[in-house]
Amino acid sequence: MTAKRLRLGILIGVSGLFLLAWIFPILWSLLNAFKTEQDVLAYPPKLVFSPTLDAFRDVLFGATSILPNLASSFIISIGTTIVTMALAIPAAYALARLRIPGKRWAGFYVLATQMLPPVGIIIPYFLILRNIGWIDTYQGIILIYLSFSLPFAIWLLVSYFEDIPFEMEEAAFLDGASRLKTLRRIILPQVQGGVAVTVVFVFLNAWNEFLFAVVLSGNTVRPVTIAMFNFVSVEQTLWAKLAAVSALAMLPVIVLGVVAQKHIVKGLTVGAVKGGGRR
Amino acid sequence: MNKSAVAGVVAQGRRALHRRADPARIMEGRERRFAAALLAPAFLALMATTTFPLLFLIWTSFYRMNLSMPFMDGFAGLDNYRELLADPRFWQSLGVSLVYTASTVVLQVVIGLALAVLVHGMRRGQGLFRMVAILPVVLSPAVVGMVWRSFMLAPDFGVVDYLAVTAGLGSHNWLGDPTLALVSVIVIHTWQWTPFAFMVLLASLAALPDDIYEAARIDRASAWQSFRRITLPLLRPAIVMVIIMRTMVALTAFAAIFTVTGGGPGTATEILNLYAYRKSFTELSIGYGSALAVALLVFTLVVSGVLFALRRAK
Repeated sequence: MTAKRLRLGILIGVSGLFLLAWIFPILWSLLNAFKTEQDVLAYPPKLVFSPTLDAFRDVLFGATSILPNLASSFIISIGTTIVTMALAIPAAYALARLRIPGKRWAGFYVLATQMLPPVGIIIPYFLILRNIGWIDTYQGIILIYLSFSLPFAIWLLVSYFEDIPFEMEEAAFLDGASRLKTLRRIILPQVQGGVAVTVVFVFLNAWNEFLFAVVLSGNTVRPVTIAMFNFVSVEQTLWAKLAAVSALAMLPVIVLGVVAQKHIVKGLTVGAVKGGGRR
Repeated sequence: MNKSAVAGVVAQGRRALHRRADPARIMEGRERRFAAALLAPAFLALMATTTFPLLFLIWTSFYRMNLSMPFMDGFAGLDNYRELLADPRFWQSLGVSLVYTASTVVLQVVIGLALAVLVHGMRRGQGLFRMVAILPVVLSPAVVGMVWRSFMLAPDFGVVDYLAVTAGLGSHNWLGDPTLALVSVIVIHTWQWTPFAFMVLLASLAALPDDIYEAARIDRASAWQSFRRITLPLLRPAIVMVIIMRTMVALTAFAAIFTVTGGGPGTATEILNLYAYRKSFTELSIGYGSALAVALLVFTLVVSGVLFALRRAK
């Protein structure tokens, strides 16, 4: 019995250690955002300190406010989500439900576009956008974000559309409803969950994207992930402010992650287990 | 009548109904036009944002193109590729990419699987693990890199350094030493993405049928035996899928390394992706950078070919 107890203790210890390893870096940087510059640099690292909101006040309302950058991140992410969903929902419906020639080929094309390395897309895109003057514009960055959000959204949505029983659609046809009406009234309410999952993923990916943003951003379009470098320089890094900016950049996605936790796990599993079994 | 016979009759009846009542057959032409209208915008956007840039990239890879010296631009034939094959920095970055990808994927799958089995056996506390595991996954790799670089790995006040000193390992320049820097970026990637493997594998474990384990218990199989003989084979499709998805992401990893080391010290952590970026946008040598990106694409295709063959095998 003691051996069993011991094993249980070790298991709990090991899993607890991993739990700590995942949560600690996030908590630690959040804590640092409430410190003074001196407290951040304290050695040994300070777990107990008198918290202050100075860093947050400075990065939000100081000389180099990141409020415009947070706004920039939101405009990019929401814009990308809207355009992506408007294009992906009809396409996914057609791929999943309609009998069309070349369907397999189209599905393969969507999958294959996901394999393109982003650096291979940004080089030509930079040249093109530079020629038409779209660098540092929202339309330019949202357009290129479609290159990764659109294939992903179509691919995820198709698996949800495929789950709806055909009988429901047939019943609607027999009642004389048109294709478009069936799509709106019968199909879309059924895939609400799938649409929500896709929206969450597209938003997260757009918020977190970095390579395209670092090449295409400028003074107008400058998401917070790029702007945080303002606080890092060779001469002096403003540690507490950097922690505050990181916290502000993390806040929306953490809130989204916790609120939509079930959706995210489901989305990951659909991709890995179901999509994997089918194609 | 047994069950399958009943199912057969039902299916037959359904097919008959289908033939008679299927309205899509009557409106086949209309359906095709409808489908085309639904598909056209998305596929046009896809072609404009993926296929067209790809073709343009291949085209520029045959050109001498330098943004700082536009007067030198011109057709170069295979020059960029000849330069690439003789470029030691290219081969080195390819090697770093291989090491980075292989080690992060193996670590993610091994740790993620072990933890998934561990947590799956828990009667309480699974929710807590799911909640915590979601956090690293939703974060921006750039922010994750910044957090690690600034507050975990900094040599003077970082927590990792403090722990190393406390454990008697001494203080190290975690991002300044070539080997340690590579280990650091591998650990950071593993830290961020192991929860992904964990969550997917935990969900797959939960979907496995209980009765097989019941039978194994009755046969007095050990925990290890039932893991080897039951869990692993049943989980194989999910594991292979996780490997494929994680490999694709590791091959295109960029932000975390960019923020943590910028590819340095020297080129110690410069994966091929980062080299192509630096060549194109720091050294402004777009033509050669394009050739590097094409090489990365070829490398990705080869790796995914191998992985998909692995999936089909058995």
